[in-house]
Amino acid sequence: MGRPTEVSDAPAAPSTGGSWDLRSRALVSGPSAAGEPEPGPQRDAADPAGAAGPSGVPARAPEIARTASARRLSASRRGPADPVKSLMHRHRELCERAVDPLEVAAGLEAHGVTDRTAARYRHRDVFSLAEELFARVPGVAANPATGPEAPERDIATRAAWSLRALLPGAACLATVGALGFTEGTLEGRARLAVALAGALLAAAGLALALRSGPLHAEGRSSGAARVYGCWLLGYVLYGEPLLDQVLSGGPEGPWDITPAPLLGLALALAPATWCAHLFSVHAQRRLIGSRALEEFAAGVRPLLFGAIALHLCALAGLLYLAHLGYGGGGAFAGAAALGVLLLLARLLTVHGFPGLAAGGLAFACAAEALAPALVLAGRLPGLHFLARPVDLLVMTSGTGSVPAIACGGAALGLLVAATVVLSRASAHTTARPVDEGPVVA
Amino acid sequence: MRIGLLTDGGYPHANGESGLWCDRLVRGLAQHEFDLFALSRSAEQEERGWVPLPIQVGRVRTAPLWTADEDVPGTRAPRGLLARMVTGGHARPYGRRERQRFTAHLAALAASVCAAGAAGGERDASGGEAAAGGPGGDGRTSATADARFTQGLYGLAELAREHGGLTAALRSETAVRVLEAACRAPGTGRTVQTATVPDLLAFARELDRVLRPLSFDWYDEEGLGAVDLCHATSGGAAALPGLLAKRFFGVPLLVTEYGVQLRAHYLAATGTELNAPVRALLAGFHGRLATEVYRQAAVVTQGNAHARRWQERCGAEREKLRTVHPGMESERFTALGESGDSGPDDTLVWVGRIEPAKDLIALLHAFAEVRKAEPDTRLRIIGAPAPGPEGAAHLAHCRALAAQLFPDEATDAHAVGDNPVSFEDIGGAEVPELPDAYAAGGVVVLSSVTEGFPAGLVEAMFCGRATVSTDVGAVVEVIGGTGLVVPPRNPRALADACLALLRDPERRARLGAAARARALELFTVEQNLAAFRGIYLELISHSPVRREAEAVDADGGPRPFATPPEAHVLGPWAGPGAAPAGRTPSWAAAGPRTVCAGARGAGGGDA
Repeated sequence: MGRPTEVSDAPAAPSTGGSWDLRSRALVSGPSAAGEPEPGPQRDAADPAGAAGPSGVPARAPEIARTASARRLSASRRGPADPVKSLMHRHRELCERAVDPLEVAAGLEAHGVTDRTAARYRHRDVFSLAEELFARVPGVAANPATGPEAPERDIATRAAWSLRALLPGAACLATVGALGFTEGTLEGRARLAVALAGALLAAAGLALALRSGPLHAEGRSSGAARVYGCWLLGYVLYGEPLLDQVLSGGPEGPWDITPAPLLGLALALAPATWCAHLFSVHAQRRLIGSRALEEFAAGVRPLLFGAIALHLCALAGLLYLAHLGYGGGGAFAGAAALGVLLLLARLLTVHGFPGLAAGGLAFACAAEALAPALVLAGRLPGLHFLARPVDLLVMTSGTGSVPAIACGGAALGLLVAATVVLSRASAHTTARPVDEGPVVA
Repeated sequence: MRIGLLTDGGYPHANGESGLWCDRLVRGLAQHEFDLFALSRSAEQEERGWVPLPIQVGRVRTAPLWTADEDVPGTRAPRGLLARMVTGGHARPYGRRERQRFTAHLAALAASVCAAGAAGGERDASGGEAAAGGPGGDGRTSATADARFTQGLYGLAELAREHGGLTAALRSETAVRVLEAACRAPGTGRTVQTATVPDLLAFARELDRVLRPLSFDWYDEEGLGAVDLCHATSGGAAALPGLLAKRFFGVPLLVTEYGVQLRAHYLAATGTELNAPVRALLAGFHGRLATEVYRQAAVVTQGNAHARRWQERCGAEREKLRTVHPGMESERFTALGESGDSGPDDTLVWVGRIEPAKDLIALLHAFAEVRKAEPDTRLRIIGAPAPGPEGAAHLAHCRALAAQLFPDEATDAHAVGDNPVSFEDIGGAEVPELPDAYAAGGVVVLSSVTEGFPAGLVEAMFCGRATVSTDVGAVVEVIGGTGLVVPPRNPRALADACLALLRDPERRARLGAAARARALELFTVEQNLAAFRGIYLELISHSPVRREAEAVDADGGPRPFATPPEAHVLGPWAGPGAAPAGRTPSWAAAGPRTVCAGARGAGGGDA
């Protein structure tokens, strides 16, 4: 019926104690007296009266009757005053673990206790015996919250995804290096090929980096979100010159792209991954320790802010380095805002809110596309006023302020949303424990 | 008529648990159509495919219960082109009204489950009255909680049927908040009160798993609405669709439990790593679910009295309970059973799988005592060890003990000796077939310390062998006085009983013949099928199916005799005890069965 669980008196092979040796030696050594004291509690449990059982056999064999009366003597001499006590001792683990008398009953039955056994303990059936056991065994005092422990540190896995997170940055660096090295030796077409190859390599590295580790989203990220991401990154590269040209009556002439912020963003994938990892691990730890949902939410919000701030610092440093190393223009603030926006969107996707993430990205895309569109529309007769806000904005704070406002606004919106939804406990069940092994599919 | 057979991890799948029984049932009752509704337990099980199905199986619908840990998107796509474009086509959560309904129903369910956990100790302190179905000390509280449970369960089912998305909702923060509020409510138990946030999340996950049948697409006019009778082959998850079919379409429900699902849940929960609060909550849920299943089922059948006790304990009414013993193939034992010989006088035989629960140690000690009285006796242990290294290790232990207790013996100084205890396997040279194993001994011994339904004992009874068994599980119920029964773990009593039988061939023959007669009457496949055939007919006669489409002919006119005259009698006329008391003639009041028989004769033409 039920499989026996690991409790002391499970019928097992005589592997540990020497009792079976003793008993067998006694048995083979010669005829033993009827009242011979024998080790082992199961002898106590033998029913003296029901030796033949309720089998309804009309003629009881004489051997059985003799043995039965002899054993009754010994049983009464050694019988404990409280028979349930020994049973309770034997099944203590079961009773302490049980949440319900029926669980005790099920466990007892799995160990072969029947109603007839229960009758020996002066109970009508196993259920009432189990009730007594359940009532008498004190519950484990304030059972400690032994939940799923925080995942063990797994250095190898962490190193693997950390290295993968470095891939896009490395690809970008290599491309930049190759372009700088070949400056003047190769003509434009070959340099374009090198740049394209580098871009493809970086994209492949990004895809690989997002397939495992803390930023892996298990098929939750949608195609739309990917398109938005590509658009935003492309705007980093081409947005500023595009707006410049549109404002100056273009588009015409050679485009002056700004790769430095993109390089910084690519390098910032590694710190972003680590920030997400830290957030996830600490949130899990908080989850295990918390007793109420409010308590958990209050604990997680600072974690989120901390992770985002950490990422922002690292991103700013890397952007500055890229700017120093590469020179050239580029929207510094816009790139920083974009980095934060992308991290927030990814965190939301990972924790089960891909719709919110896609919405935030879509807002940023729309805002960025709106600026040149408004300028172009302003060229139409009678629609000058449409271009005025963009003109004003660019005049006061330069072309870089458009992506800064777009991404910054979207990031702020997503931050507010994340403060609300990522402080929910249910958001942290869908996230896979980070160190649970590589998910290199 | 059309039977909806609900299975859980069983029948049409090749490696199902209750597959053999279901297969026999479906093939044996060929006059009925069967629609199979199967829950599968693992991906591996689905890959293994189905067993070949007979022609009377109409439709088969399967649904997985095992995708629980994956993120199941809701069934409804987001409304509106813009929303879909922006968010990339992810599921839309419930609207405000649906969320309100969901919250209310889940709160009712959670409150009743928490109350069940709390009542655990007290209910059982008030003892047997509750078990006996009488008004216990807190009977009213329990009834209130039961009402809330059903309200919540059916409310959630209706919501899932109308809007889908129950899985996503149960995994949402709303659900966790509702559960937290229910656990912290005054009056819940100490264990439940200590639930932490991970416990709540774990319970929400488990709740989603067990309530998964609510989200299936079985509840339409072509699915469970089209069957005349639901037969759930186990309690728990498999009976849940039956409950809903009864709720939505009024289909009567028959529940067969060969192993009580609640007990299985307790045993399974012992091995899991869930915390005590989660286990308490789950136990409360399963307890309430079992009670509701037993309350709604028209008939509950079980394999033995032990299962019956559990069912009564969970609130099943006695008049609904029928014991239908499992059926076993008896043909191959016929030759041996009819031969009339009572077997060799000097051989005990034990047949079964060699594992610790069978307590071969006690058997060997008992045999040592038998040998002291009758030095020429032999013991043949026939069977394979349990699979795995532990089984092999246990077999080695038993062999070692046998070698230590009994030295090899030879007939004279020049012969090669042999041990009086032999370990053999079926299929070897000595024992080619199972009946040969039983033929090898004069007395068949069963020495288990735990046992469910002792199949080996029934086989021995089919073979007409005298048996000595230990008083465990359903042994006494099965043997019923046609063999000797001794307490478990009592080698001396076992030895005495074996000796008594070995020394008395006449008694052996008498007991063997009686055992065979008893087994043929109770444990054959035919009796099992006959019992279910009768139950099917009885149930369908209590709730005749009237479909509007069948009462009109092709032109839309009424068909003569499509509706039996009883259908025009006011009030429910076929249910037991449902006839209005004031108008029942005295001859009909003797028992509702007379009424049923008449109804079956008149209206059962389609059955």
